[in-house]
Amino acid sequence: MNGKRQPLVFDIKRYALDDGPGIRTVVFFKGCPLACVWCHNPESMRPDREIAWHRQRCIGCHECVRACPEKAVDGGPGRIDRGRCTACGACVDACPATALQRVGRFYPVAELITLLMKDRLFYEVSAGGVTVSGGEPTLHAEYLAGLLRTLKAQGVHTAIETCGLFERDRFRKMLLPHLDLICFDVKLISAEAHRRLTGRGNGTILRNLAWLAAEAPDRLFPRVPLVPGVTATEGNLRGIGKMLGGLGIRRCGCLPYNPGGTGKRQAIGQPVPDAPPAAMMSAEEERQWTGMLQAELSRAVAEVRTPNPQEEQSCRSIFTMP
Amino acid sequence: MPPITLNDIGLKAYDLSNMPLLARLREANMGAKPEVCIERALHVTRSLQETAEGGDSMELRYARAVNRFLSEKAPLFFGDNLLAGTTTSKFYGAPVYPELTGMTIWPELDTISDRAKNRLRLSREDADTLNFEIYPFWMERSILEHARKKNGDPQCMRLFERIVFFLAGKAGAISHTVPHYKAVLETGLSGIVEEARKHEKLLPAGPESPEQCGKRDFYRAVRIALEGAIAYAARLSARASELAASEKDPGRRANLLRMAEVTARVPAKPARTFREAVNAVWLLQIAIHAENINMAISPGRLDQILYPYYRADVDRGLLTVREAMELVGCLWLKLNDNTNLVPETAEELFGGAGTVPAVTVGGVDEAGEDAVNDLTYIMLRVTELLKTRDPSMNARYHHEKNPPAYRDRVAEVIAATHAVPACYNDVAAISALENQGVETAHARDYAIIGCVELAVAGRSYDASSSIMLNLVSALELALYNGKRPITGDDQIGPATGDPATFTDFGQFREAFQGQLAFLAGEAITLNEDLGRAHQELMPTPLLSALFDGPMEKGADLIRGGARYNASGATHIGFADTVDSLSAIQQAVFTDRSCTFADLLQALQNDFEGADALLARLRSRMPKFGTDDPVAARNAQDLIGFLYDFYQGHTSYRGGKYRPAYWTMTNHAGQGKLSGALPNGRKAHQVFASGITPVSQAAGDLTPCLRAVAALDSRHIPGGEALNLKLPAVSGPEDLARFSQTIEAYCRYGGLHVQFNILSYETLLDAKRHPERYPELLVRVSGYSAYFKDLNEAMKDEIITRTAYDLRTGRAVPLPAAGMDGSPAPEEEQAPSPHAWALAEHAVVQLAGRKLVECLESEFAEGFLALLLDLMKLVFLFDHDFRRNIQDFAATYLFRSLDGSITVSAIFRDNGLEVREEEAGDPNVTVTFKDSKALMGYLLSPKPDVLGSMLRQEVTLAGNLNYLYKFAFMAKRLQLMATGR
Repeated sequence: MNGKRQPLVFDIKRYALDDGPGIRTVVFFKGCPLACVWCHNPESMRPDREIAWHRQRCIGCHECVRACPEKAVDGGPGRIDRGRCTACGACVDACPATALQRVGRFYPVAELITLLMKDRLFYEVSAGGVTVSGGEPTLHAEYLAGLLRTLKAQGVHTAIETCGLFERDRFRKMLLPHLDLICFDVKLISAEAHRRLTGRGNGTILRNLAWLAAEAPDRLFPRVPLVPGVTATEGNLRGIGKMLGGLGIRRCGCLPYNPGGTGKRQAIGQPVPDAPPAAMMSAEEERQWTGMLQAELSRAVAEVRTPNPQEEQSCRSIFTMP
Repeated sequence: MPPITLNDIGLKAYDLSNMPLLARLREANMGAKPEVCIERALHVTRSLQETAEGGDSMELRYARAVNRFLSEKAPLFFGDNLLAGTTTSKFYGAPVYPELTGMTIWPELDTISDRAKNRLRLSREDADTLNFEIYPFWMERSILEHARKKNGDPQCMRLFERIVFFLAGKAGAISHTVPHYKAVLETGLSGIVEEARKHEKLLPAGPESPEQCGKRDFYRAVRIALEGAIAYAARLSARASELAASEKDPGRRANLLRMAEVTARVPAKPARTFREAVNAVWLLQIAIHAENINMAISPGRLDQILYPYYRADVDRGLLTVREAMELVGCLWLKLNDNTNLVPETAEELFGGAGTVPAVTVGGVDEAGEDAVNDLTYIMLRVTELLKTRDPSMNARYHHEKNPPAYRDRVAEVIAATHAVPACYNDVAAISALENQGVETAHARDYAIIGCVELAVAGRSYDASSSIMLNLVSALELALYNGKRPITGDDQIGPATGDPATFTDFGQFREAFQGQLAFLAGEAITLNEDLGRAHQELMPTPLLSALFDGPMEKGADLIRGGARYNASGATHIGFADTVDSLSAIQQAVFTDRSCTFADLLQALQNDFEGADALLARLRSRMPKFGTDDPVAARNAQDLIGFLYDFYQGHTSYRGGKYRPAYWTMTNHAGQGKLSGALPNGRKAHQVFASGITPVSQAAGDLTPCLRAVAALDSRHIPGGEALNLKLPAVSGPEDLARFSQTIEAYCRYGGLHVQFNILSYETLLDAKRHPERYPELLVRVSGYSAYFKDLNEAMKDEIITRTAYDLRTGRAVPLPAAGMDGSPAPEEEQAPSPHAWALAEHAVVQLAGRKLVECLESEFAEGFLALLLDLMKLVFLFDHDFRRNIQDFAATYLFRSLDGSITVSAIFRDNGLEVREEEAGDPNVTVTFKDSKALMGYLLSPKPDVLGSMLRQEVTLAGNLNYLYKFAFMAKRLQLMATGR
């Protein structure tokens, strides 16, 4: 790819519930500085276009084999030699069953806005809006600045989901003015574990968190992904709760773990790491871990300042209190 | 805006545990077994027989017939219901309307009590009365046969009888209307009688013109008919007093005395209290059914009509909320006191339907302001508690005027009942009606008829179920140059060209529109023929008296007396047709990924060996219900085309035809009769219902709702049904989101939406174990039904409807184990040993035994000869059976397709003559493929009319009533021969 990389969208999810208040549309961008072993959107990791093959939809018609100019699909239908594949998409166009799909599409801002504004009335009636997510959306700060500014101008509530690994100045200048809500992932309190399981340390992330806690406390909402046995441990959650409280942060939430990443890795030909747990967490377990995190946070908050009943309330999910 | 005086609009403090009367009545209602009631048919038939000679107009004669039935109707009181009056003489009765569809059950008189679906109890005595007295009178007089004879068995009627092109509602009913109860509660029937008398006096004196004569007779007819309704109430009152005198239970005695008081007052005089008003509404419903068949006679906006009485009583301290709820509940259960009399096969097309009296609540008033009141909430709560099939509940919602709390409450009731009410967007509905020339104030007062049709309540005679047209059959005619191979039809429509020769999509669209215009034109012609037959045979003075217009004009509704007139034409297979058009456009003419010839070949092979093409058509083509612009364009084009076509036709009553998109269960039945389609639907599969996107084709909820809402509702003045399924709505967050979703749909301009809140798993389990879900209520495509009552195809259709997860807005995957939920096949009842008890004559025994052997054999050779031989013999030996042909003169022609059999059966001089040749002018001609097919058609314990149609086994020409009679005699013989 020549020159500046275009931001690619790998999914647009409408009528989303877990990504901010109300009914929202979430735009998922490709590219991420982290490589979490439990990632449930592995197709978001690489910034480039990819081809996914969904085995269960394949009808074995060999149209893709015939269509591929690189002879990358010669090992049988859908089995792609990733070394040869240039992700040109000829096989996708040929596939009658949508078993092959492009992962990553560039939208000019205006086109994306049109697409997002189709659901405007759903946002309006539910106090919802648009969330940009990833991957790590802040990698595309310039593009997002244009997108979010236009959305704000049209009265749409905007949110971002970030892993926290971003360049602070760019974030402050380009994104912060156009965001109503910043969902900030806090994964692991231990720097060593963070490096081992996500590929990067957590120093910058925690500094960015502290900065936002001071700069935009009302818009910041830290979230902890609950990965069984990895992030969902007593030590990690208590550590995070304490750290958040220390920063004067008074609210946070948890994200349930989704084991869907494995199948997606297979579809795009990525090796599957042996770490991720296979099962979903029960709702009851999720409640317990969330309770533990919030209790620890409340305790830490209480130590820092005199309790205020109104603030106590705000320890609850931000989504009920936009 | 009326003040809401309820402490809790959810009325959660009231439930069936503390409302024992409603709990008890509901239980009785749910357990009730329907019975055929011949009371009305008998009175009406005898009266018309007696007045046949006098030379009076049909207006007067029909009014007298209605008057006679109402004045002589038995005054009955079942259970502890607070409302007096019953539709029939049974606790749960199916009245007979021989004028309309009442004759179609003639072949089933001996078996209707034990048939597999929609069993109806009928005593031998009543069956005899129908067979020997009532039906013979109507042989040539039913609406359909009258119209056939008069118009020389026209092409449109033969198309109708092929079932797959269109159905003509008027052969079975006009009904489908909303009368003006507000006015009659204020004046009383006596007031209208007086008004009629005044109008008659004002007619100019001197020699009468035919027009004046018509007016005079109309006013007289109104008086006569209404006096019948008044007389019925008087008899109820007298009987209630009598019963009270001997009643020991003090509560029951008090109730009887109250009913005696109430019926002494209403409906003759203006209602003074809430109880009087509610009972008056009920008595008027009964009265209307004396004249009009029990299909979708809808009471309308009861929360508005009854509100003044409620408010006054509550303010005076005469009525508590609990009492109001009990009375509303009693009315809801009373509205369930009757059911339809339909032949067993009709359930394929209209399965599980009740009589669909629609009640409408909420919305705005005539001034355009919020009309939601206490009664709105009371009616919603009663609906939530009773969960009965009828009344069909409809909630109007105006997003600028009605409070959000009302919308939330409606959402909550839908979640609780899994099905009702259906939701209507006031903004879209009102503008659709205004666009039809309805005054704004009147449009704002709209109410729902039956399934989903919009009515200007009490002011418009809409005949909303006049035509049901199958869009897919028009598409098939276009694909095959005017033919329809799946039912083997030869040239049906115009030759619009072989699509394989078309060079652009426009040519195909033109061909399709040509076929569509041909079918719709034929459907309209038939509707006009039938409408005129109604004018001649079934005037409706009683119903006319309850409308705005007829009294001023001096003209019956059926003659265009209403303030507004319309005829509704609904369409089956909308989304499948749109997706097929888009697939043709995209695959053949844009992508050029296949040729039209290849596509046609694949369709005719039902995609056998064309997996890649099938996959492409299913997953890569534009689908209605997504953001695809091609699909959106084709959908709007089709809607626009039909709108323009119908609006260009004015009916015999002076109203325009109005297109609509609701399907009852026709989309399942018609689907069975259709071949593979370009959208990837395989042959014989169900179509999508109403205006709903094809199941599993529109995976995201918001584009689905937007796509339907984007259709211009002004082009859908007859109403639409969007059927959505959500697996669950649980907890306050789900509810809020559900309610917001309805809000957004309305703001996008959607006209109607209704829900089934049921998961795939629940529905599959209910199919497997019907006994565990006796009361599971589902929305079909307009009306509600108990799931257990639906046929298997319709169950599957509801199961496979896309289920959208409210938490993700995406379609929930259909379980792979999908359709394996069939219950164990019912044991076919084996014929009992051949006890040939009736006739002891050896020859008869022998013939009977032969027939039984023939019935049990595979090939049924000589079945017809055996049947006719046996018939002849039994006529000789069995006096009872001979009664069937006393003074009966008719000629039947039976012909096999291959010409190897030609037999005439001539009934005359109380006997039967059989000739192996064509004789004279047959009343009915039966053409059959082979003997087995004929036998199956006449005698099968579960007649498969759709299957027989598909296999082209038996076709009929001529007067069907004769066939019904013959089939009855054949069936009776079979039962005699097998000793059952």
